[in-house]
Amino acid sequence: MTLLIVRKELLELRRSPALLLSMISLPATVVLVPLLLLWWLLRHAPDQALAFVQEFYGVKAGATVAGVASVLARNWLPMFLVLPVFLPILIAAQSIGGERERRTLEPLLATPVSTISIILGKSIAALIPALIITWSAAVLFCLGIDLIIGAPLLPDSSWLFGTLLLAPLLALFGNGAAVCVSARVLDPRAAQNLAATTVLPLLGLLVMQLAGRIALGPPFYFSLALGVALLDVALIAFAVRTFDRERLLTNWR
Amino acid sequence: MIAIETKGLSKSFGGRPACTGISFEVARGEVFGLLGPNGAGKTTTLRMLAGLYAPDSGTARVAGVDIGPGKPGGPDLRRKVGLLTEQPGFYDRLTARENLIFFGKLYGAADAPGRATKLLNRFALRSHADRPFAELSRGMKQKLAIARALLHEPEVIFLDEPTVGLDPEATREVRSVIAELAAERATIVLCTHHLDEVERLCSRAAFIAGRLLAVHEMSRKELLKVELAQPFSPPAAMEALCKSIELRGNSLFIDPLAEVPDIVAALAAAGARIVSVSPHRDRLEEAWLQLSQEARKQGLTA
Repeated sequence: MTLLIVRKELLELRRSPALLLSMISLPATVVLVPLLLLWWLLRHAPDQALAFVQEFYGVKAGATVAGVASVLARNWLPMFLVLPVFLPILIAAQSIGGERERRTLEPLLATPVSTISIILGKSIAALIPALIITWSAAVLFCLGIDLIIGAPLLPDSSWLFGTLLLAPLLALFGNGAAVCVSARVLDPRAAQNLAATTVLPLLGLLVMQLAGRIALGPPFYFSLALGVALLDVALIAFAVRTFDRERLLTNWR
Repeated sequence: MIAIETKGLSKSFGGRPACTGISFEVARGEVFGLLGPNGAGKTTTLRMLAGLYAPDSGTARVAGVDIGPGKPGGPDLRRKVGLLTEQPGFYDRLTARENLIFFGKLYGAADAPGRATKLLNRFALRSHADRPFAELSRGMKQKLAIARALLHEPEVIFLDEPTVGLDPEATREVRSVIAELAAERATIVLCTHHLDEVERLCSRAAFIAGRLLAVHEMSRKELLKVELAQPFSPPAAMEALCKSIELRGNSLFIDPLAEVPDIVAALAAAGARIVSVSPHRDRLEEAWLQLSQEARKQGLTA
């Protein structure tokens, strides 16, 4: 039953070009903008600009161009942690609220399928494209950096940990938040907006790191993974406890 | 054989009662109407019987599955009943066939694709089967929703406002589909506020206005209505021509034994001044109006 729902959700997604485009536009920007910036910085920017970057991010004097690129690439990792939170929200916010808006929720709940299968099916269908897009974007970014530098700089350990372990945990979190919010509000757009606020802390970290105020390293990413894993467990427990048919049909604001 | 038996079903939302003390029985193969104004608790009753809500109090047995407080019937019940919801509720980007196959598999129907094809043919939707649901007309959408309710060959079919919002042509199509199901002796609970629909399709109907007001049996008997210029007491000799004769105001309602011209001639010979003669069936509308007035007096409806 869960797989049936996953297949149906993915089929609907495949036939929604606008949604697919909106899912691809942010990762494309996240990959292209820093690559173009770095390419310009290393090939065409005046020496003062490079010196400014070295000074701003505390790169040792006399460090190679690869050193500067490495700092910039490391600082951009949080953006690839925003993607797995944000992308499933685009789909998952439609999950319950969307069914309610399209009047498909009651016929769906009238079938013998369990509520957990519905939630699980919808969650997997939101996570699969979100992770595929995030990982594809990460691979393109790493390849781009390596091509510009001319050396195999990325992925380093932080990138591998961030994209392979932390990204799925964050995707689970974004999806869980969106599904829970979606079950409580009538309008899927409101659900999307509310759930999207969960990316704000990560965006804050990114801005602080780009501004040179903090330097996030492996200990931080490890702690973040632990915290997000605990949040995921809490969200799943909440979903299991609160999602019953009657509540889904009647309890929304 | 009883297909549905409810005893004192009650349900409230946020302390506001939706329906109270609903008790009725539906026999296997019967088409039973649930009549009531908007907000009377018809859909809530249907949702309880279809396993979507648990009642606050009272019990029910639907297709052999028990329902009670905190016990909404579950998958066992949902597998045995088909529900036509007030809105068709399909996925716009999936075709009619894909939608039916998806729901068929969720219901655990054996050979869902085959069953979908059979129902698409039955409801004259074959040529539209591979069009996205969004492109279908309102009548086609509603027929597709009825097909969905039949996918798993349920023991009981619940139809919630099947003709609401349809144009006259689509209404006629949907009613003929329901009449076909009734002719096949399907057990159907038809929830509506269209009296003519209930009169045409149901054998009995429950009037609901927050609580059960009455269960009305449809009369299929055709009477002869003789409208008179002034009240007239029929002579004893008329008894030989009629099974029953009743004076209501200026009209005689006759259950005839003899041919109509003979009855009319006998009445005229007895001195009755006849204005018109027409066939008459005791209408649900009369019972409905009477019950509605009572409900209003009791403050059950606005």
